[in-house]
Amino acid sequence: MAHAATHDHHDHHGAPKGFFQRWVMSTNHKDIGTLYLIFSLTMFFIGGAFAMVIRAELFKPGLQLVQPYFFNEMTTMHALVMIFGAIMPSFVGLANWMIPLMVGAPDMALPRMNNLSFWIMPFAFILLLSTLFMPGGGPAGGWTMYPPLSLQGESIAYTIFAIHLMGISSIMGAINIIATILNMRAPGMDLLKMPVFVWSWLITAFLLIAVMPVLAGAVTMLLTDKYFHTNFFNAAGGGDPVLFQHIFWFFGHPEVYIMILPAFGIISEIIPTFARKPIFGYRAMVFAIASIAFLSFIVWAHHMFAVGLPMGAEIFFMYATMLIAVPTGVKVFNWVSTMWGGSMTFETPMLFSIAFVILFTIGGFSGLMLALAPADFQYHDTYFVVAHFHYVLVTGAAFSIMAAAYYWLPKWSGNMYSETWGKVHFWSSVISVNVLFFPQHFLGLAGMPRRIPDYNVAFANFNMISSIGGFWFGASQLIFLGVVIHCVFFSKKRAADRSWEGARGLEWTVPSPAPFHTFDVPPVIHDDELAHGNTEH
Amino acid sequence: MHAVTDAGTEARRRRARRTALIAGVVAVAIFVLSILQALNA
Repeated sequence: MAHAATHDHHDHHGAPKGFFQRWVMSTNHKDIGTLYLIFSLTMFFIGGAFAMVIRAELFKPGLQLVQPYFFNEMTTMHALVMIFGAIMPSFVGLANWMIPLMVGAPDMALPRMNNLSFWIMPFAFILLLSTLFMPGGGPAGGWTMYPPLSLQGESIAYTIFAIHLMGISSIMGAINIIATILNMRAPGMDLLKMPVFVWSWLITAFLLIAVMPVLAGAVTMLLTDKYFHTNFFNAAGGGDPVLFQHIFWFFGHPEVYIMILPAFGIISEIIPTFARKPIFGYRAMVFAIASIAFLSFIVWAHHMFAVGLPMGAEIFFMYATMLIAVPTGVKVFNWVSTMWGGSMTFETPMLFSIAFVILFTIGGFSGLMLALAPADFQYHDTYFVVAHFHYVLVTGAAFSIMAAAYYWLPKWSGNMYSETWGKVHFWSSVISVNVLFFPQHFLGLAGMPRRIPDYNVAFANFNMISSIGGFWFGASQLIFLGVVIHCVFFSKKRAADRSWEGARGLEWTVPSPAPFHTFDVPPVIHDDELAHGNTEH
Repeated sequence: MHAVTDAGTEARRRRARRTALIAGVVAVAIFVLSILQALNA
């Protein structure tokens, strides 16, 4: 692979000098990626602050700190902010930064739309968060917005408009990613030579285009039911509230995979690097991601087992859901097989990746338990569900994002982060996150409902342990913030172009930090230097 | 936006705009269909 430095020094095309021109008017994929990552980190701490309120209230039985309505606002906002503000934009940020570098493209295919899709996001979230300060308060009916409960507050119109804006942003981002991957690859970068991260994002982008408009349709109908006297979901007018649940979860289940497929891609980049082996079963990994994406469209009603579905539907959705374990198992097997016999080292990105494989699998197993329709009647709406999806989304999605940040920070900033503090962050996070979420399995199995500010004294001990873990995990993320700031602004240790010994792929052929413009002239692709080895063999 | 002079890259950008247009039309169609199917429910 030709060293890209030969065509990376374009001083006459450097970054704009003014702050406004550089960041607000940016059409550069790296700058927009940075904006997405800063935005998502900010939202991560805002959503985390809401979680701290929840755990503080649940520290002891009885109403302690906040009123029940405010508690419900916190659970609703925590979910909306973390899903749409933290996890999704951070993956889009990683896609913006890395996809053009990985496929040898000079930028995203539609740079101006890229700018627009980012700058919609801050306005959407200012709108959403502003509802907390409005008369009547913010949305408090849960992030699922089931009618008629969600229609009781006046802030629903603001929430729906914010969701529309987030959806438009996500769809534009997805369109840009698809257009970039399908059209902007360097000559010779065939589809089955692309890194798994790029594949995972291509499939995720198709999922986004397929389901975000469905969410937009669902919330539009909520809006017309509330303000224009339609009766889509109003039983008194001949509508059906369960119809909303079907439409919402037709979006909502693929949404779960939108938040985990890019994580699979990240882990599939990091494990080969630190095991110093090409990934085991490259094609199987790609087909497994595609299979999971396909299956995600036919499992939505497993969120609704307790609503009263026909027996045939319960059985269909139960077995369809359990099928997802097959391609997911293929992926876990291949990650373990990649490590097997490898010359492994345990830098911070690898530690987070190994924790991902183990802890995400725990979340997967509890998901299988929830997939069993008869058992789900017992687990439904309990803390077991809360434990399950936090294992998937925190130790899964969020851990993969942290792994990615440590892995690519040297390429982004040109500096090495502090490995010592990175490891302190990892061990503090991995212990505290289990103290936080593992006891919630026991609470759920014992019958503690989710979304309540007060509970039976029988649940006191596990709740106190969970809250201690929550405060500890929250504090641990301040270490992450410190490591990132130190690395970007103060670190004296310069990163090599190929920052990790075992790293392969186009992104490691450009200098560190990556120049403002890369691959103005498409690079020459040599199969033996591909991210996952020569896949022809 | 950085001016790209490479002819191959420009051709790829043109194809990308067409791909984006198709994807955008699909997204709008799904939005409309999601409401139409609820009207028929």
